[in-house]
Amino acid sequence: MDAASSGAQTEPAPAAGAPERPSDEEILAQQNLIRAEQAQRSEYVGNEEPLSALKEEYINGNQNFVQKISKLESAYGRFRRTRGDGNCFFRGFVYAYLEGLLLGRDTAECSRITAVVQGWKMRLVEGGFQELVFEDAMDLLLDQVASVSKPDSGSGPQHEQLLINMRDDTVSNMIVMFLRLVTSCEVQRREDHFFPFIMGMYDEPPPTVELFCQRFVEPMGEESDHLHIVAVTDALQIPVRVVYLDSSGHPGGGSGAGGADLDATVHDFVPDACPPGTQPRVHLLYRPGHYDILYPR
Amino acid sequence: MATARQRLLKEYKEALKGRPEDTGITLIPNETNLFAWRAVLRGPKDTPFEGGKFELVINVPEQYPLQPPAVRYRTKIFHPNVHFKTGEICLDILKNAWSPAWTLHAVCQAVLALMSDPAPDSPLNCDAGNLLRFGDTRGYNSLARMYTLDYAQAPVAGAGASS
Repeated sequence: MDAASSGAQTEPAPAAGAPERPSDEEILAQQNLIRAEQAQRSEYVGNEEPLSALKEEYINGNQNFVQKISKLESAYGRFRRTRGDGNCFFRGFVYAYLEGLLLGRDTAECSRITAVVQGWKMRLVEGGFQELVFEDAMDLLLDQVASVSKPDSGSGPQHEQLLINMRDDTVSNMIVMFLRLVTSCEVQRREDHFFPFIMGMYDEPPPTVELFCQRFVEPMGEESDHLHIVAVTDALQIPVRVVYLDSSGHPGGGSGAGGADLDATVHDFVPDACPPGTQPRVHLLYRPGHYDILYPR
Repeated sequence: MATARQRLLKEYKEALKGRPEDTGITLIPNETNLFAWRAVLRGPKDTPFEGGKFELVINVPEQYPLQPPAVRYRTKIFHPNVHFKTGEICLDILKNAWSPAWTLHAVCQAVLALMSDPAPDSPLNCDAGNLLRFGDTRGYNSLARMYTLDYAQAPVAGAGASS
């Protein structure tokens, strides 16, 4: 869990002289080192793996996971890991969406999302964001949409390029940043709708949605909750299915004795404007604290 | 890096349009290095810093705007959230609450706001913090004022002439 408080904790301070502490530059250098180590272990967006690889993680552990994953295998054959850097929801979401556009050759959806993203330019400015803050990031996202929608002899090289881009520090993170700003703007535009969610979700609820967004939506690496997902799927009109995988057993309380009938919980985030029965375009797997990408069979 | 440069060029153009007399902020890019900026802040009204000119040193990392700029005071200042020796600033938006939605100008605004509204509960300068925490506003104001007169009144060196 990330410490939410900033700066120095208030210990009974020594009467005089500041205690030795690392400088900002040293802290930043240390953080970059940690990121670099993490990068060696896992890409921002990993390679596709069979779901059995996920099951193996738990084979000697909690059997509720094993049961649930076994049942998931009928609907999902493969999954793709994302790096656990606090941006996994946004990154997994946008990668899976762009990949879906590419593989589905869905030119109508490409045009739709391009128009929607361009429409956000005005809304962001109206919402108080300076254009210079988001325009480069917005262009990077539009570039990705344009390149996956290009008619091409085969999807191989394009698919490879998308992966390369979404593994690139700048491109990948700038796109995540843009989605965070759109999410923030959407939450603030619909303050009345979102304020009750903030109240329920934090020990010390931020007093306004504006402060909430500045602290928990806009900064990179802040983890996403239900609220972020509702806001970004509404903002971009992209329906998402999240499969929740945790260790919980039967709701009645009896644990594990009753055979392989445990199901992961499924939640669909379908924007109100989508016609009923709209199928999700993106499938994500949630394990407490982390999102990966799922591929339906 | 290219992204940072692109973004900084835009902020540079904005800075040229800035109206320091209204904002109290003068942002000065380094003519030879877009990643090294300075700023001069006018001490806010009704604070012990009023009338002072406070110079900030701003170093922008290559990962900007994904990572925050490193900002410190060059001018000595007596303030609970500023390190008395190094000028380092304890401000959440320069650390874990940084977001790419902030600009260098917005950071300067936040630093000005901190001068008006110190947060004595997370002090980098414990002496200043303790005075405020124990309600000795008079003591705090007079010390802060003294340092403002001693250090912040002197005209700041012109653009590019910093050593």
